[in-house]
Amino acid sequence: MPSEIITLQLGQCGNQIGFEFWKRLCLEHGISPSGVLEDFANDGMDRKDVFFYQADDDHYIPRAVLLDLEPRVINTIMGSAYSKLYNPENVYLSKHGGGAGNNWASGYGQGEKLQEEVFDIIDREADGSDSLEGFILCHSIAGGTGSGMGSFIMERLADRYPKKLIQTFSVFPNQDEISDVVVQPYNSMLTLKRLTTAADSVVVLDNTALNRIACDRLHIQNPSFSQINNLVSTIMSVSTTTLRYPSYMNNNLIGLMAPLIPTPQLHFLMTGYTPLTSDSDINSQQPVNVRKTTVLDVMRRLLQPKNMMVSTGPDKSNHHCYISILNIIQGEVDPTQVHKSLQRIRDRKMAQFIPWGPTSIQVALSRSSPYVQSNHRVSGLMLANHTSICSLFERALNQYDKLRKRGAFLDQFRREDIFKDDLTELDESRETVDCLVQEYAAATREDYMQFSVKRGAGSGDSKSEDSRSVTSGGA
Amino acid sequence: MSKTDPLRQVLTDLIKESQSPLTPEDIVREFRATSERRLPLCDLLQLLVSISESRPNFIEVTKEIADILQRKDPMYALLVFVQRYKESGISSRCSSGISLSTMGSPHGIKTSFNSASDVDSATASAPTTGRSITSASSTTTARSGTSEYSSASSRLSLPQAQDFPTSTPVNSKKSADSDASSGVFVRRGPMQRNHGQNKEERGDLSVIKERVLSAVSDRSLNSYRSVASDALSSRSGNGTKTSATVIATPTGVPDEYRTHLLWDYYKVDGNKLPKTEIAALPLSSQENLLLDELLHCLTGVRENLLVPRQPDPTTVGLAKFETGFDIHMQLDRSLAELVKDILPLASYFMGMQKIVTATNGQGQVMNSLNEALQDLTHDFYLLIVQAEQELRQHRLTLQKLLYYLQPTLWVMEEIWTSLVDIQLSDYRDAAVLTYLHERIKRLEGDRAAQQLIIGLARKAAEPYMRMLQMWIQKGVIVDRNQEFLVEDNEVIHRDELPEHYSDDYWERRYNVRRDHIPSFLEKYSDKILRTGKYLNVIRQCGKRVMPTQEMHLEFDPTSERHVSVINDAYYFAARMLLDVLLTENDLMGHLQSVKRYLLLNQGDFTMQFMDACEDELTKNVDHVLPMTLENLLGLTLRLSSARNDPYKDDLHCELLPYDLVTQMSKIMNQKEEYWQAQPRLDLSGLECFAFTYEVKWPCSLVLNHISISKYQMLFRQLFYCKHVERQLCKIWKENSIAKKFSPQAAELYRSAFTLRQRMMNAIQNLEYYMMIEIIEPNWHIFIEKMKTVENVDNVLRLHQDFLDSCLKNCMLTESSHLNRAIFKICKICLKFCEFIQRSQRFFLDAELKSMVCDTHDSADSSESEQESLHRPQLETSLDPADTFSERVKRFDLEFTGLLISFLKQINNMAKKNTADCFMNLVHRINFNAFYSDQMDKMCAKDAMG
Repeated sequence: MPSEIITLQLGQCGNQIGFEFWKRLCLEHGISPSGVLEDFANDGMDRKDVFFYQADDDHYIPRAVLLDLEPRVINTIMGSAYSKLYNPENVYLSKHGGGAGNNWASGYGQGEKLQEEVFDIIDREADGSDSLEGFILCHSIAGGTGSGMGSFIMERLADRYPKKLIQTFSVFPNQDEISDVVVQPYNSMLTLKRLTTAADSVVVLDNTALNRIACDRLHIQNPSFSQINNLVSTIMSVSTTTLRYPSYMNNNLIGLMAPLIPTPQLHFLMTGYTPLTSDSDINSQQPVNVRKTTVLDVMRRLLQPKNMMVSTGPDKSNHHCYISILNIIQGEVDPTQVHKSLQRIRDRKMAQFIPWGPTSIQVALSRSSPYVQSNHRVSGLMLANHTSICSLFERALNQYDKLRKRGAFLDQFRREDIFKDDLTELDESRETVDCLVQEYAAATREDYMQFSVKRGAGSGDSKSEDSRSVTSGGA
Repeated sequence: MSKTDPLRQVLTDLIKESQSPLTPEDIVREFRATSERRLPLCDLLQLLVSISESRPNFIEVTKEIADILQRKDPMYALLVFVQRYKESGISSRCSSGISLSTMGSPHGIKTSFNSASDVDSATASAPTTGRSITSASSTTTARSGTSEYSSASSRLSLPQAQDFPTSTPVNSKKSADSDASSGVFVRRGPMQRNHGQNKEERGDLSVIKERVLSAVSDRSLNSYRSVASDALSSRSGNGTKTSATVIATPTGVPDEYRTHLLWDYYKVDGNKLPKTEIAALPLSSQENLLLDELLHCLTGVRENLLVPRQPDPTTVGLAKFETGFDIHMQLDRSLAELVKDILPLASYFMGMQKIVTATNGQGQVMNSLNEALQDLTHDFYLLIVQAEQELRQHRLTLQKLLYYLQPTLWVMEEIWTSLVDIQLSDYRDAAVLTYLHERIKRLEGDRAAQQLIIGLARKAAEPYMRMLQMWIQKGVIVDRNQEFLVEDNEVIHRDELPEHYSDDYWERRYNVRRDHIPSFLEKYSDKILRTGKYLNVIRQCGKRVMPTQEMHLEFDPTSERHVSVINDAYYFAARMLLDVLLTENDLMGHLQSVKRYLLLNQGDFTMQFMDACEDELTKNVDHVLPMTLENLLGLTLRLSSARNDPYKDDLHCELLPYDLVTQMSKIMNQKEEYWQAQPRLDLSGLECFAFTYEVKWPCSLVLNHISISKYQMLFRQLFYCKHVERQLCKIWKENSIAKKFSPQAAELYRSAFTLRQRMMNAIQNLEYYMMIEIIEPNWHIFIEKMKTVENVDNVLRLHQDFLDSCLKNCMLTESSHLNRAIFKICKICLKFCEFIQRSQRFFLDAELKSMVCDTHDSADSSESEQESLHRPQLETSLDPADTFSERVKRFDLEFTGLLISFLKQINNMAKKNTADCFMNLVHRINFNAFYSDQMDKMCAKDAMG
């Protein structure tokens, strides 16, 4: 009765990163693309059953549910070498196949219509596990299916499985390029509300930062989706490594999440990873390592913003701080170094922490897969709860407000059931996100305990000014 | 003379005295009866008591008889009994008739005595070595001697109970000395057998002496033949002839130094030697006469010209073993001076002989040394014989003799000095070897003397080295005289007490007897002990111990070869046992397994087990069903990733009768129990629970009971923390519903949430500290060191170090009650969890309702409404006066107070002792200096107060 986790992949983006994630897991556990355990994979000290179950013929099947409203990505997956890996009953494609048209409301509405069929799959999968711990949702917040249908399913899951955890890997849109989805701000806002109220923890994967890292760190001019997704899959697999290769601590999802999230709202996590290398680096076999990597090196690099997978923009007022940090370090680590590294970081004040509560850097030393060769002696992933994440939400708010003020592109929303009568759903979402931003801002201050949300009716500018004033007041 | 006489006579007397209705026949019949029909021993004793009560020595005799009855045939006891009262009868009543009849019935006495000695010899099994039992008097002073000269028949046929001493210098006891009987059988044992072997091996000493004596008696020249030597030589001819006329008086030397082996200048009475007017003889005749006497003197025969001085019985020390000689006054001065130079040799020789006889049978080392000395004696006699032959051929002069004897004189002196030292300091066994070894070192400049002592030492060490060899190559101790440096304390058998066996085994089974180590082995005693110990362990594992090559162990002070032999044997044994432990029994695998479960390294298993057993373990310990736990454990082991562990089935559950704090105070044996041990009633299953790990021999040597207890202590602390962490996680999940609440409502609970987070932070950091900073690095070090380990003792020590270091740094050995503070912190966390869980459903209802009814209106109204909603419901479970937030505040205060004082306590300790790692925990918990202010405040308060 392990703490099983069911992965839900929604929409184009969700299925793509999910696909990469499973590829990665198969590699790490020595499972062939068809689900058969490789001959060399007899180590036996890993926990495959968190993410996989065994069919009657003993081959491994991912606890994954693939959902999409249009067939393109799922067809690609089913046409790949991994087609036999998935349980075909868990792959759900909407029959009309037209997609959600990048419309949140459409995705949400279709989710509602299809919920019976979808939850048949999810319930079956949940019943099949001994002690289900929770769900992992992969989606993007900008599109239609991932955001809309994802939002609906999240809400339903929280009602239906109140004792189970819901974690999401949510891809935030790239802010640097102009999106072809004009209603993206609306979509983001509506999804953010669900992420705030329905999900237990959200791992933010910011496309802006991912692209930046691909360009700056990996020296790829025009990073492709698969290159970005490779990064994402690394983060996803490493963040679950303590579940799959259990050691002293953080062996279940709740043990991983609970220490990071002090109050229920503040559950948006950033990730950082080091060392970052691309395939080309690995292939060229250049002597990348010029010296021995220590635990301190890894921990120090993880604290550098350039290694973060979230682009928070320059923190001018320099008041943002860490609410909590968990470093998962893999590789040949001398456990005696951990303490020294922590001490160094503490003494040099390399990281700024919240003033209203105790917090520290937790270090989990994790085993890594013996089947995947890494050319790095030590690697580290940071899961951090940092107040600067709210700049992402502020940005979303700004974009939303701009659009909303003009009242642009609202027609296609009004066509759907949820917005048939009025647009309160949008305003409510905006308010929820606004509260979230305020709370994050307050979390940087000592008087967070006494903080209360300033409620603004109406829209736009006053709101963002408000939040800004709150922010500056704290600085 | 009727053979019933003496026995029944005494009995009749006794019966008459006591006026008992018995007849002597009755008594004898009872005592003669076969064992099936015989009365019980106590009744037999009672019979004797009833007739002898009136006698003055009744109590002692009864005691003695009771003792004999226990051990020997009743008939023998009766005989002893009769003997005792016969003596006392003679002395007390002086009844001439009785004494005459006793005197006149030696045959009867002999018969009775023989029966006694038959019993005796049967138990001693002496006859096989050709030894016989001799009696010196009519009392039961039987002595099984080591004499080669005496034959049993001749000794027994000597007139008994005579007042004059026996003819030969055999140990004679006065007949009145009744106590002696108890001491008589003492000097019997392996040494006699040993001695007998010597006889077969290298020729009887008597043969040599006979040879010497026959050579002496051959002389045609002089007529001064000693009667004694005559007697001896004639006995050497027919062996059984008795010289009843030879009567000697002791020279005053204590009995124990005089045996039949030695002449020791016994005065032979009844044969007055003609006093030669020595001065009247010409010088050359004088010299011949003197030489003849001198040669006799050197073998211990008493002569006229050189008269041994009566030893002074009061002398102590060296002088006790010296003999002075008075040289005949009329002897020519020049001769006398020369004789004076030679005479010390006689003194040394006699001294040596005395000590040899005195120490014979006192352990294998002494026997072996004596054997070597007897070889020297043999040589010495040969030398004398040669000298005598020279003398016969008139080629010997005193100067020549002195010249011949000079080296011997010097050898004898050396030996004599050493022996006297040994004897005076009462060295035995290993101490003798130590003494000889030191002597060898001291004689560094004197090569010849050194060689001599080396020879002796080598010989003396032979049995010891044999034992050593047995021990280090086979692990066997054959040491009946308790001489060896290792002793075996096998008390219990392995199968009887498997649990605690191995603890004791390693520490106590074999011990080094510190006072039994020869100095040249001192440095290696530890190695020697371990070598055999290892071999024994290997054997107990059911493996054959086969030394790679036969090694001969011999003491050689010059080459120190024995050292390399010991080392070789040691490395062989150590290597083999290490292989057995590490390779065949996969000790490291077991340790890994123990670490996995008892130190919670296999986190998913721990979690699953807790999931499974939570309901059971939160019950009162008395209601916990161990079988249920065991079943759940089995289930968990099979379902978690532990299923691939080959040793998973060694893991079991245990419910200890006390909690960790009590266990610790028990272990530390603290007198002041200010922390009252909680009665078992109040303990939950969780507080009493521990895993235990079943270990099989020989891994149980390392993973012994004590080690497992230490693991359990660590486990209990970790397990308890883990439990608290789980509870905190649980309320985290339940609380996460608050994200649905209106922001205003969520504010209310923020204080509770942040308190929970503070608790989580403290508990998790404690866990991280223990696991990541203490256990893991120490384990890492342990594993690194294990790679180069050489022997099992090192394995034990490293493992011990690992555990002790973990215990110490996990605050489980501190007497400062840090672990109590941890326990209290855990308790308050659990109480808080309970409280939150209880209030959860109330505020959940309240919030969701308020969200539905009153969406976004005034915060105040919703707050007041919610308070009012809370109150009535919470009254049932909480103090009615408290609101939710007040309760949280109180928890907050209590928790913070405990935590701060805990941190401060560590701080104070760290000031005193900077070597500890406790400070790291403070740094972890107070990583962002959140508690610094409060700690400073508290310090300031302390300083003021």
